[in-house]
Amino acid sequence: MSDLRLNATQLDRYSRHVIMDEIGPDGQQRLLESAVLVVGAGGLGSPAIQYLAAAGVGQLGIVDDDVVERSNLQRQIVHGDADVGRPKVESAADYVAALNPDLDVDTHDTRVTADTVADLVAGYDIVLDASDNFATRYLLNDHCVLTETPLFHGAIYRFEGQLTSFTNERGGDEPRPCYRCVFPEAPEPGTVPDCATTGVLGVLPGTVGCIQATEAVKYLLGKGDLLEGRLLMYDAMDMSFEEVPIRPNPSCPVCGDDPEIESVGDVAYEGTCGISAD
Amino acid sequence: MHVTVDVKGEDTYELELEAVAGAAADGEATGDPADATPTYADLLREVELSPHEVSVLVDGRPVPEDQPVESDHVTVLRLIKGG
Repeated sequence: MSDLRLNATQLDRYSRHVIMDEIGPDGQQRLLESAVLVVGAGGLGSPAIQYLAAAGVGQLGIVDDDVVERSNLQRQIVHGDADVGRPKVESAADYVAALNPDLDVDTHDTRVTADTVADLVAGYDIVLDASDNFATRYLLNDHCVLTETPLFHGAIYRFEGQLTSFTNERGGDEPRPCYRCVFPEAPEPGTVPDCATTGVLGVLPGTVGCIQATEAVKYLLGKGDLLEGRLLMYDAMDMSFEEVPIRPNPSCPVCGDDPEIESVGDVAYEGTCGISAD
Repeated sequence: MHVTVDVKGEDTYELELEAVAGAAADGEATGDPADATPTYADLLREVELSPHEVSVLVDGRPVPEDQPVESDHVTVLRLIKGG
């Protein structure tokens, strides 16, 4: 087995991929030529970054404006005790560099905003939403819908996870749902608890983030069936998975028949992520 | 009408719409329970959930919480934000 595009070290490193018919040298080359933006280097982002890096995704962008806190270490496994106080993007980038020198890592020590989202996402093939707040989640959804950028969604709460994938391909025979098709607006601030107030099982984001990475790799390879049109619910306490069918919503404010959102500038992302009154 | 409210990740509730209508009318002090038209928000109230924290789906699509209940099976999804 040989392929001139993969050098000997790469053929060795990725041999368990290359040997599979579904991936092979061409698929591995495709991964090496891919660019993925991971938004959030926390609970979900950590395992996703690890496995995307290990898989050989050639360009990884990591966005996060937080620094590592000791309370993160129970679940955010790209960071270690010595990283407490460091920017998460730096800690995550060091982890990736140690794991796989094949990759280019872009770090963005910033928060995604309506003003910055276009520049941050530009140049990446797909976006993995590992954020921990509704403002970022709705902003990424809206931008990715408007730019037809694939988005891989995950969220966690205590012992539960939610996952789905949005290819955001428009104009085809089969309409595709987006996050707002299911959740048209964010809840009022303060009405939905977060991990800091309710706690979260440390291993939970490992499972969910790995599934996000799995979906991303499948998409990049063009193989398998994605979670598009299906919201996967994971209950760690019951060790059960359940799929909820989700459909495109003709009334969706961003991808419906008569969308109100034509630009992320139309939305006030600080509150319920509804249409701005301006 | 019998309505199944499937709160994903939690419980499934079997409700009688007439009972929900009565409870809604009592809550709103409108007098005659028979005049009350239960909404999806009323269903949520019966299962002690707030419309702020969930999305109510019928056939895979969200329905406005203030709309009258027209389906015998609704799915309730929690909005979760952790990452």
